[in-house]
Amino acid sequence: MSDKHLNVKNFVMYYRTTRGEVKAVDNVSFNLDKGETVAVIGESGCGKSSLAKSLIRVLPRNVSVYRGTVLLDGLNLMELNEKAFEKEIRWVKITYIPQAALNSLNDVLKIGDQMIEPLVVKNKASRGEALEIAAKTLKSLGVSEEFLYRYPFELSGGMRQRVIIAMSLMVKPELMLLDEPTSSLDVLTQANIMNLMKKIKKEYKPSMIFITHDVSLSSELADKVAVMYAGQIVEFNNAEKFYKDPVHPYSRKLMESIPTLRTDKKLDYIPGSPPSLLNPPKGCRFRDRCPWRFEKCVEDPPITFLEKDFYVRCWLSVRG
Amino acid sequence: MESRKIRETFKQLFTYKSALIGLLIILGLIIVSIYTIIALPYDTAVELWRAGEKYWLDNPRNALPSWANIFSSKKLPETITLTSEKPKTGVSKAIIPAIGKVSVIRIEFSFNYEYDDFPSELNLFFKAKFNTSSPHLTIHWVKPNGEDIVLKTLSISQEENYYISVDHRLANELKNRISQKLNKSIEYDIPVLASLFAVEDNSIVNPDTVKVMKGIYKLWIEGVIFETDADLDAKLNVYGKVYGWAGTDHLRRDIGIALLWGAPVALAFGVTASLLIAFSNIILAAISAWFRRYIDSFIQRITEIFMTLPFLPTMIMIATFFRPTLLNLLLAVIALSIFSASIKTYRAVFLQVREFPYVEAAKAYGAGNFRIILQYLIPKVLPTLIPSIVLSVPDFVFLEAVLSLLGVGDPLIPTWGKIVEDAFRYGALYKGLYYWVLEPSLMLAITSMGFALLGFTLDKIFNPKLKEM
Amino acid sequence: MAIMKTSFMRHMLKRGILILFSAMVAVYATVLIANMGGYVDQIIKSEIYMTVSQSVRQNPAFRYLNETQYKKLVEEIYNNELRRLGFDKPFIYRSFNYWKDALTLDLGRALFLSSESGSRSVRLIIAERLPHTILLFTTMNIILFFIGLVGGLALSRKYGSVLDRVVTMLVPLSSLPGWFYGIFMILIFASFFGILPYGGMVDVPPPSDKFEYALSVLKHMVLPILSWLIAYSFFYIYSRRTFFLMFSSEDHVDFAKAKGLPESIIQRRYVLRTVLPYIITDFSLMLISSWMGAIVTETVFSWPGIGSLLYAATNALDGPVIVGLVVIYAYLLAITNFILESLYGILDPRIRTEGGEIGIA
Repeated sequence: MSDKHLNVKNFVMYYRTTRGEVKAVDNVSFNLDKGETVAVIGESGCGKSSLAKSLIRVLPRNVSVYRGTVLLDGLNLMELNEKAFEKEIRWVKITYIPQAALNSLNDVLKIGDQMIEPLVVKNKASRGEALEIAAKTLKSLGVSEEFLYRYPFELSGGMRQRVIIAMSLMVKPELMLLDEPTSSLDVLTQANIMNLMKKIKKEYKPSMIFITHDVSLSSELADKVAVMYAGQIVEFNNAEKFYKDPVHPYSRKLMESIPTLRTDKKLDYIPGSPPSLLNPPKGCRFRDRCPWRFEKCVEDPPITFLEKDFYVRCWLSVRG
Repeated sequence: MESRKIRETFKQLFTYKSALIGLLIILGLIIVSIYTIIALPYDTAVELWRAGEKYWLDNPRNALPSWANIFSSKKLPETITLTSEKPKTGVSKAIIPAIGKVSVIRIEFSFNYEYDDFPSELNLFFKAKFNTSSPHLTIHWVKPNGEDIVLKTLSISQEENYYISVDHRLANELKNRISQKLNKSIEYDIPVLASLFAVEDNSIVNPDTVKVMKGIYKLWIEGVIFETDADLDAKLNVYGKVYGWAGTDHLRRDIGIALLWGAPVALAFGVTASLLIAFSNIILAAISAWFRRYIDSFIQRITEIFMTLPFLPTMIMIATFFRPTLLNLLLAVIALSIFSASIKTYRAVFLQVREFPYVEAAKAYGAGNFRIILQYLIPKVLPTLIPSIVLSVPDFVFLEAVLSLLGVGDPLIPTWGKIVEDAFRYGALYKGLYYWVLEPSLMLAITSMGFALLGFTLDKIFNPKLKEM
Repeated sequence: MAIMKTSFMRHMLKRGILILFSAMVAVYATVLIANMGGYVDQIIKSEIYMTVSQSVRQNPAFRYLNETQYKKLVEEIYNNELRRLGFDKPFIYRSFNYWKDALTLDLGRALFLSSESGSRSVRLIIAERLPHTILLFTTMNIILFFIGLVGGLALSRKYGSVLDRVVTMLVPLSSLPGWFYGIFMILIFASFFGILPYGGMVDVPPPSDKFEYALSVLKHMVLPILSWLIAYSFFYIYSRRTFFLMFSSEDHVDFAKAKGLPESIIQRRYVLRTVLPYIITDFSLMLISSWMGAIVTETVFSWPGIGSLLYAATNALDGPVIVGLVVIYAYLLAITNFILESLYGILDPRIRTEGGEIGIA
C-alpha cells in the first residue's frame, strides 16, 4: 500500500443546508499508482465534483464533516493545516481543472495575469519569467501567446479550457484533478481536448483523477475506474476489466446504455433517478433502480474485494 | 402566477416574524383608513381643519394628549366648560325682576378643581340679547378658601369675550392683593391664573414653588339688565393642558383628526405612485429589452434624460409654482417617474430572460411580440421585482411628507407632513411641545417600517440567488 | 495602460456626449415646466419693467416730465421691449433664449434673496453655497461607501452568525430618511443634552484662526453625518454583504482558491474586483438619491448649502433662484453620472469592448 502515489481511505465530506445535511462524499476509498489515471464515473448529483473539490480542500461554506486519510506520496494531506496546504499542496502538487471553464476564470483580469498568479505569488517568480513560461505552455497546447493579453470573455470555451490546462502544466503537478473538463464543449473541441490530455499523460506522466458522466469518454484515459453512486464508490476496478465486464449492477446498466458503433445493441436506460444526498436510504442505495435486487439489499452491502485492492459494494458479489 | 405558488409564497412569508409585523402594520393602517374615510369623510375633515378659532374655541391650545397624565406625576388639568345655556350641576342662572323694566341677573358657575397643575387659559364668553341698553355686570371669583375677589365690572355688547387669563390690569391688582396679604414683596409678575388658583402662602413667592389650591371654585356674575326681554348667557372655559388622544395644535385643532386622515392619504399616495410607476417602468423596460436596436436606444436615451432631471428639486419647483392638489401632485410624480432609472435595472434582467429557451420556443411557434412580453417575459420577472415595489412605497410616503414639510404640499388636506411642518413653524422644539412633532413622525415611521419589513422579507424569499442560503 | 486604449476613449466620448445631450434636454424641460403657468415670463417681464422705469428715471432728459407723461413713456418703452424680445409671439420662441441662458448658467437675478456680498446674481448666490453642500455630502457618501464595502465584505464571511442576523434586523431602519433621524439627533444632542450645535456650519461668530474654523465646521458636521450613518449604514452593509455572498461562491472564487492563492488576494482580486462594477452602479444610484435627500437634511440642520437655499427660495417664492437651482442640480447629476460611468468603464473591461450594451448604461 505504501508505494501507491495517491491513497484515499474513508474520505468523508458533508455539508449543511437549510434542508438538512448533504452527504456529498460518503466514505470514499481508492488509490492510484504514479502516472495512472482513475476515471470517476457517475450521474450528475452523485457527488463527484464534491469529491474533486474536497481533495484540493475547496470546501463549501457550510461544511460540517471533513475527515479521512489522503496519502499523497506517503504524506497525509488531511493532517496539514490550512496554511501549509495552501502553500505546499494547492497548485504545487495538486491542480484542479474545473467543470465549465467559462465561469472559472476571472472576467476582469487578463488571461496572462491569471496564469502567472500562482508562480508569482507562491514561488516568488518574477513577472517576466512567469509570462515566458506561460507563453511557452500555451504554445505547446496550440494557443497563440497573444491571448495572454486578452480577457476571458474574448476566448471561446475550448480555448478557455486549454488556458486552464496550461495553467496546470506550468507547475508540473504530481496529481491533476479533472472535473468534467469537456462537458460544456462541442464534440470536435472535446476530441481536441482529449487528444491533448493523452499527449500530456504521455509526456508529463502526472497522476490524474478524471471525473465524467460519459462512460465512453472515460475509456480513453483510464487505467482504473471508480463508479460513484449517491456519494459512495460502488465499484473500484481495473479499467480493462471494467470496460469488458463490469461487476456492479449500476456499472452494468451504464454500459448497457452506451451505443456502440459496430454491433447491434438494444439500448437500455436506467429508470428512476438517483436518491438525494440529503437522506440517503438505508441499505444499498441503488436497490430501487436495480433489476437484480433481493431481500438482502435492504441492509448496507459490505465491501467485497475483487483482486488486489479493487472492490465492489454489492450483495450479489458476496459469496455464501 | 399559479395559485399554488402564491400560497407557497405566503406560507414562507409567514415564517418570518418581521414579515408578520409588517403585514400587521399595513393591515392596521388599512383598517384605520377605512374607518376614517367612513367616520370622517373628506369634505368634513377639510372643513374642520380649515374652520377658524370659533369652531375650536372650547379646546385648549397646544394641549398634550390625555394619556400623558398616566406618565406624569403631576395630574394635568382637563378642560372644564360650563355654560348657562345648558343647565347642569355647577351652573345656575336666575333672573329676578327688580323695579320696572330692570332686573337683576345672577349666573353662578362652580366646579371642583383637583388637578396638580394650573389651567392653560381662562375665558368667559357672553351672549346678550337687548335692544339699546347694555347689561351691566360684575364678575366675582371665589376660591376654595372662601375668598371672594371681584375680577371685573363691565358693560357688555351682544357678543363679548373676556379673556381673563391675559387681563394685565387684573394681574397687577391680584399681585398687589397677595403681596399685601402676605406682607411680602413679590419679585416676579404672577400670572392671573396663578393668582386665581394658587395656594396663598409663602409658596407663591417663588414661581418654582407655586402650588394649586384644590377644591370648589366659583365664578359668579351679578348683573343688571335694563329691558324686559333682555337676556344674558355666559360660558366659562377653564382650559386644561390635555385633550383628546393626540392633543391640540396652535389653532386648538384636535391633532387626532390629522393623524387619522394622514393614514389614507399616505397609503393612497404611496401605494398608487409605487404601483403605477413600477408597472410603467417594467413595461417600458420589457419593450426596450425585447425589441432592441432603435426602440431600445430611443427608450434608453429618454430614460437618461429623465435621470438627469433632478427629481426632488423639480417636484419642489412644480409644487411651489403651481400649488397642485394632492391628486395633481400624484400625477406630476408619476409623470416624472415613468422613465426612471429603474428601467435600466429591469432591462438588464429582461435581457437575460429573453435568452431563455421557453421564450425562443414561443417565438418559434409564432407568438406575437406583445404576447411574448406580457405573457412570457413579465410574469417570469415579476416575482423578483415585487420586493422593490413594496420597498418603494415608503419613499413616496416620505416624498409627500417632505413636500408638506417644505411648505408646498396640498394646503387643504391634513397630512402627517403638514403636522410636522406646523410643529416646526410654530416652534414646537423650542417650546418643548415634543408630542406635536413625535406623533406624526411616529405615524410616518411606523408606516415606513411596515412596508420595509414586508419588503425586505419578500426580497429574501424572491431573490433567486439568495434562495440557496 | 488599458485606460488609454482608443476603444475606451471612444466609448467614454460617446457616453460623455450622450450625457451632455441628456443634461441639455433636461434643462430645456425645466424651462418648459417652469413656464407652464407663464411664471418665467412673468418674472422676466417684471424685470424688464423695473429696468425700463429705472433707466427712464435716471435719464436726465426726462427729468421734467410729470407723473402721467412719465408713466406713459415707461409703458411705451416697456411694450417696445416686450415686442423686441418676442413676447407677442408664442412662448416656444422665447424658450430657446431662456434655454441658452440656462445652459450657459446665465441665471438672472433673484427677486428677494441675495448673496453674502449683497449681489442678486443667482449664479453667485448658488456658487457661494455649492461648496458647502459638496463638502458635507461628499464626506457623508464616502464614509458610507467605505463602511458599506468593508462592513459588507467582513460580514459576508460571517454568514449566519449572530452579527449577521443583528445587522439584517436593523436594515429596515433605512426606510426612514436620514433627515428624519436628524430631527431626533437635534432633539437629543442639541436640545436635551446641549453638547452639539442645533445647526449651521460654523459657530457664530466664526473663529478667525483657520484651524479652529476647521474644527468648528467639523463639530457641526457631526450630527448630520451621524443621522445619515444611523439611517443608511446597516442597509449599505447588508446590500454589499448580499452582493459579496452572491458572487463569492462563484466558480472563479473556488478556482482561485484551488490555485492556492491566499485569502487576501482572493478577496481583493476575485471577490471585490469582480463585484466592484456593480457596487459602483449601486453607489451611483445612492449618490443621486443623496443629492435629493440633501435638500431636507440641509434644511433641518440649517446647513448653508444649495439644499437649504432651495427651501429658502421656495418660502420666498423666488422664482429665478428656484429655476436656477433645478438647472444646477441637473448639471450636478450629469457630472456625477459621467464620473461614475468612467469609473465603471475602467473597472469592467466587458464594457469597453462590447459597446456598452451589457452594463448599467
